[in-house]
Amino acid sequence: MSKKQKIAFYWCSSCGGCEESVIDLGQDILKVAGAVEIVFWPVAMDFKYADLAAIHDNEIAVTLINGSIRTDEQEHMAKVLRKKSKLLMAHGSCAHLGGIVGLANFFEAAEVLGRSYKEVPSVHNPQGVLPQKKKVESGRELTLPGFHDTVRTLDQTVPVDYYIPGCPPTPELVKDAIMMVLEDRLPPRGSVLADRKALCETCPRRDSRPDKVKISALRRVYEIEWDPHRCFLDQGIICLGPATRGGCMARCIQANMPCRGCFGPTDNVLDQGAKCVSFLAAILDSTDEEELQTMAKAIPDPAGLFYRYSLPSSLLRRKVSIW
Amino acid sequence: MGTGAMRPRERIGVYICECGPNIKEAVHIDDVVHFAQGLEDVIFAKVFGLLCSSEGKELIARDIKAQKLTRVVIAACSPKEHEMTFRQALEKGGLNPFLLQMANIREQCAWVIDDKDLATEKSKAMIAAAIQRVVYHEPLETREITCQADVLVVGAGVAGISAALALAQKRRKVYLVEKSPCIGGKVARYEEIFPHLECASCVLDPILDEVLHHDHIEVLTLSEPQEALGFYGNFVVKVHKKARYINAETCIGCGACVEVCPVKVANEYNEGLDERKAVYIPYAGALPNVAVIDWEHCLRGQGEACHACKEACPFGCVDYEEKDQILALKVGAIVLATGFDIFDPRKAPQYGYGEIEGIYTSLEFERLLSSTGPTEGQLLLKNGTPPHNIALVHCVGSRTSRFYTHCSGVCCMYSLKFAHQAMEKLPGVSIKEFYSDLCLWGKESQGFFNRVSQENGIELMRMQGPDAIEMVEKDGHILIKYTDVCGAVQETPSDMVVLAPAMEGATGAQQLAEIFDISQGKEGFFVEEHATVAPVSTARDGVFLAGCARGPEDIPGSVTEGQAAAGAILSRLIPGEKLALEPMTAELDEGLCSGCKICVGLCPYRAITYDDIRKRITINEVLCRGCGVCPAACPSGAIKAHHFTDMEICAEIEGLFQEALDR
Amino acid sequence: MKGFEPKIVGFLCNWCSYEGADAAGRARKSYPANLRVVKVMCSGRTDPQFILQAFKVGADGVLILGCHPGDCHYKEGNLQTLKRYAVLKEMLPQLGIESERLRLDWISASEGDKFAQVVSDMVEQVRQLGPLVRPS
Repeated sequence: MSKKQKIAFYWCSSCGGCEESVIDLGQDILKVAGAVEIVFWPVAMDFKYADLAAIHDNEIAVTLINGSIRTDEQEHMAKVLRKKSKLLMAHGSCAHLGGIVGLANFFEAAEVLGRSYKEVPSVHNPQGVLPQKKKVESGRELTLPGFHDTVRTLDQTVPVDYYIPGCPPTPELVKDAIMMVLEDRLPPRGSVLADRKALCETCPRRDSRPDKVKISALRRVYEIEWDPHRCFLDQGIICLGPATRGGCMARCIQANMPCRGCFGPTDNVLDQGAKCVSFLAAILDSTDEEELQTMAKAIPDPAGLFYRYSLPSSLLRRKVSIW
Repeated sequence: MGTGAMRPRERIGVYICECGPNIKEAVHIDDVVHFAQGLEDVIFAKVFGLLCSSEGKELIARDIKAQKLTRVVIAACSPKEHEMTFRQALEKGGLNPFLLQMANIREQCAWVIDDKDLATEKSKAMIAAAIQRVVYHEPLETREITCQADVLVVGAGVAGISAALALAQKRRKVYLVEKSPCIGGKVARYEEIFPHLECASCVLDPILDEVLHHDHIEVLTLSEPQEALGFYGNFVVKVHKKARYINAETCIGCGACVEVCPVKVANEYNEGLDERKAVYIPYAGALPNVAVIDWEHCLRGQGEACHACKEACPFGCVDYEEKDQILALKVGAIVLATGFDIFDPRKAPQYGYGEIEGIYTSLEFERLLSSTGPTEGQLLLKNGTPPHNIALVHCVGSRTSRFYTHCSGVCCMYSLKFAHQAMEKLPGVSIKEFYSDLCLWGKESQGFFNRVSQENGIELMRMQGPDAIEMVEKDGHILIKYTDVCGAVQETPSDMVVLAPAMEGATGAQQLAEIFDISQGKEGFFVEEHATVAPVSTARDGVFLAGCARGPEDIPGSVTEGQAAAGAILSRLIPGEKLALEPMTAELDEGLCSGCKICVGLCPYRAITYDDIRKRITINEVLCRGCGVCPAACPSGAIKAHHFTDMEICAEIEGLFQEALDR
Repeated sequence: MKGFEPKIVGFLCNWCSYEGADAAGRARKSYPANLRVVKVMCSGRTDPQFILQAFKVGADGVLILGCHPGDCHYKEGNLQTLKRYAVLKEMLPQLGIESERLRLDWISASEGDKFAQVVSDMVEQVRQLGPLVRPS
C-alpha cells in the first residue's frame, strides 16, 4: 500500500472555476500529484460512488470541496466525504461563503426553478414541468436530488477545518494549502488560509489614497476614464478592498478592476455586506439627508454588490420572506 | 466567527431590586427570579428591597467574595442613576467594576408598562440580555499618563492675560503669545470702559505690568502659532516669533528712533486714522513700552541703506541683524483668547461707510475719544471743527438675515458710553441713538442706561428693524433716512455718524482653527465643546477658549472665561500627577489593520492618525473618548470598542430574544 | 394580523436618547412594551451588523435613536449613523426587510414625550407590516 497521503477533490454547486485553480497549478500539479495519491476527483478522473464507499473513515488526509450546498446529493456527498477525511477544506468562495451561486438566496426556491424551467426564453416547456424528486417512466423509477430552499455554505452543512478563499482561489493558495497538510504546518483549525488583513494592505494603489477619503458622487467603471494608479474609492468607484480579506495578490486591481469581495470578510467581521455599508457610508461626503439618499440610490443593487460572494454566510443568510 | 460560539463560562450573581414599591408592584418579581435562576451560568438570583442602600451594597460585596462571583447583573433603576454606586460595590467585593451589567427594569418596565404581565416579560428579556452580555465583559483599568503642566495662551487681551495670571499664580509656566508688538488687546486702546466709566488704562495697566514682570509668564510678542501637534497633557506647539529689530531688554521707549524715521504708513493702532513711522511704539502707553521696526515698510526692508534709527538710538538698541525664530513649546494645554474683529460696514453700502466723510466705526471712535489717539482725545471732524450733532447707529451687520444674525451684546452699552463721553467732551452736542431693540442684560446695564438716557441732548430714535436706516450725502452733510416704529420714513441730518458693527471672529481665526483643529462657526468664532455646560473647552481635548474668540463678550465676561479656562486646566493638569484616561476607549488590533484609512476622517477628536511608515493607523488613547464610531466603521473589525465590543452587543441582542426562544 | 405583537430593538445613545427614555420613565409616560433597548455610547456605534443581528434573532423592527444633529455628545457621531442609515434603507428591502422596519430618529434628554410617541408609532407601523418571518 502506498505511503503517500490520500487526497480528494469534489464539487458541489459551483461553476468549475475552483477545479480550474487546481489545473492552473501548471507544472506544480505534477509535484502535488507526485506527493499524494488522489483517491477521488470526479471532475478530472473516472470515479464512482462505489470507489468512495470503499474508502475507510478518516482515510483521506484532506478533501477539498468547492461549491455551495443546494441539493440533497451535495449534502450527502459532503457528509460522506467529511466522514472519510481527516481534514475537510472549503475550497473557493462558494464552499467558503456561498459564492456567486449564493446570490440565489435573494429568491425563493420556487422562483429559481420557475425562472429556469419556465421563463427563460430558450426553454420550451409548455406543460410547465418542474424537476421532480421521483418519476416513474416506462416502469422504471427515475430520481433527482432534492432542491433545497436555501443555498448553504459547506460549514453550514458539515464541520469544516480550513477555508481556501477566492473566486477562484489563486493556484498558489491551493498549492500552499495542500503543502501545509503534507508538511504538517497548518494554522489553528478554522483558519482561512490567506492573509489576515484586508486587501488594502497589499494593494499596489494604497499609497495613492488620501488620508481622508471623501466621495461626493459614486461612479461605475464605464462612466469615467479612471486613473490606473489611483485608489478606486478615491475616484468614486466602489471597491470592496477595505472589507475583503487579502491574499489574492490583488489580481483584479492589477487588471484595473475594483475588488468585488470574493475572499470574504476578515476574521472579526460577522457580515461582510454590513461592513461594506459601514465603510462606504463613512466616506460619503455629505451630512444632508436628502443628498445622502441620492448618493445611496446611486449604488446599483447594493445588496447584490455587498453580498456578491457572501450572502449565505451573512447574518441573515438569505432574503427573509413573509409567508 | 459567530456569536455564542465559544461562550465563556462565568459565575454570575443576579440581583433584582424591588426599589421599594416601584418595581415590586409593577413586575411579578418571583416569576422574574425563577426565570433568571434557570439561565446559564447564574449562580443565584435574589430579590432585595432597596439595593442602593448601604445594606444592599454590602450584600453584593459579601456575595462576590463568598460565592466567588465573576460577574454581577443588577436589575433595578437606570444605570444613569446607580451604575456608579454598584460599580463601587463590585470594587469593594474585589471585582473589577466593569464586570457589572444593569437591566433598567424600573424606567423601562415598571414605570412605563401598565400591564404587569407585559412588564414581567420585558424584564425577563432585559435580564437575559444583561446576562448574555456580561459574560463577554472584560475588566478595564483606568489608565494614566504623565503630563506637561505648562500652558500656552494665545492672545494677550483681557481674556488671555486673565487666564495667564490665574495659571501663573498657581506657579504654572505660561507662554503668552501675542501677534502684535504690545499686550492688552483692544481694551488697552479704549479711554473709558462701561458701566462704571473707569479709565481703561488705570484699570488695565497694573495688570499688564504684572503680566510683563511675572516670573512664571513668558510674554512672546510679535509671535503666532504655526503648528500644534500632540494632545492634552503633551502638546508641542511651534511658534513663529518675528524679529523686533530692537532689543526689548534695553529699549526704554524714549522715541528717539521714531522721530528720525523717514517712512510714514497708516497707523493700524489708530484704526488708520493717522500715520505712524516704520519704527514705532504702537501708542503712548503701549506695554511693553518698546519700539519695533516694521520691516515690511522700513527702507532697509526694501533694500535701502537707511540707518537713521540706529544712529538716533542713545542706547544702541537697534539690531538690523535680528532674525525671526521658530520656538517649539512643550505645553499641556492651550488657551485661545484671540478676540474679535468687527464687521466691515463697507459690505453694507446703506451705511455710507468709506464713501461719506464723517462716518466712523466704533473702534475708530474709541481712538478719537482716547487721549492717546490721533486727536489726543479731542472730538473733531476732519475739518478740525467739533460736530454739533452725532448719530450712534446700533446693530450694523447684526441681527439681520443679510449679514450676521447674532447680537453682539455689547454695542448698546458702548453706544450709550459713547453718548456720555461725547456729551462730556462737547457739552451741548446733540446725540441721537438709532436702535431697534436694546440689549441691556445683567445687573449694571439698565441702571447705566437710565443714567445716560436722562442726560440732556440724548435722543433715542427707535427704528422699525435693525437695518431700517440709510446714510446719504447731501450738501456736504450726512443725511440719515430711517424708518421709525410706525413705519414712517424720517430724515435727519448729522455731522458725524458712529456705527456699531457686529463682532465677528478675529482675522486669522480660520488659520488658528486649522492649526489647533477646532471648529469655527459661521460668524468666525470658535466652537465650544458644549454651548451650555462646556463653554470654555473645545472638541479637541486640551484646547480651551476664552473671551471673544468664543463669541461676543463684554470685558467682565472675557475675564471670567479666561479664569474659567485656567481653572479647568489647573484642576486636571497637576505637575507630577498623571492624567486619568477614559477606560472605555477604542483599541486597534494592529494585526488586522490594513491601513485602509476609512476611520481616519471620522474621529472628531483627531485621535486617529495614519502612520505613513508602518502603513497603519494609530489610535491615541489620550484623545479617544470612546464614542464607538470608528469600530462601527472599520471594515476589518480591527478596532475594538472597550465595554461596547461587537461580541458584547451581539450577545446582548441575542439575549433580548432568549425568553421567546426558550418558550 | 390579529394578536401580533411586534418586537422592536432600539439602539439608544447614552447621552440623549437613553436619557430621553429615562425621562419618559420618570414621567410615568406609558408606551408599548414591545421595545427592547440596547444602550450604546453614541448612535454612531450602531454597526449595521448589530441591526442585521437584531433582525436575525427576532426583531420585527429596529429603532436607532440619537442626539439631535448639532447636539451630539461626540460632535457628529449621529451624522455617521445618518449616513449608514441612508445606505441601509436602500439595501434592506433587497433582503426582504421593508425599509419601514428601520427607523432613525433624534431624541433629546428632555424629550420623554417624543420618545414614547416615536416608540408607539414604530410599534404601530411594524404591526401593520406584520411579523418578519425568517428562514428556518
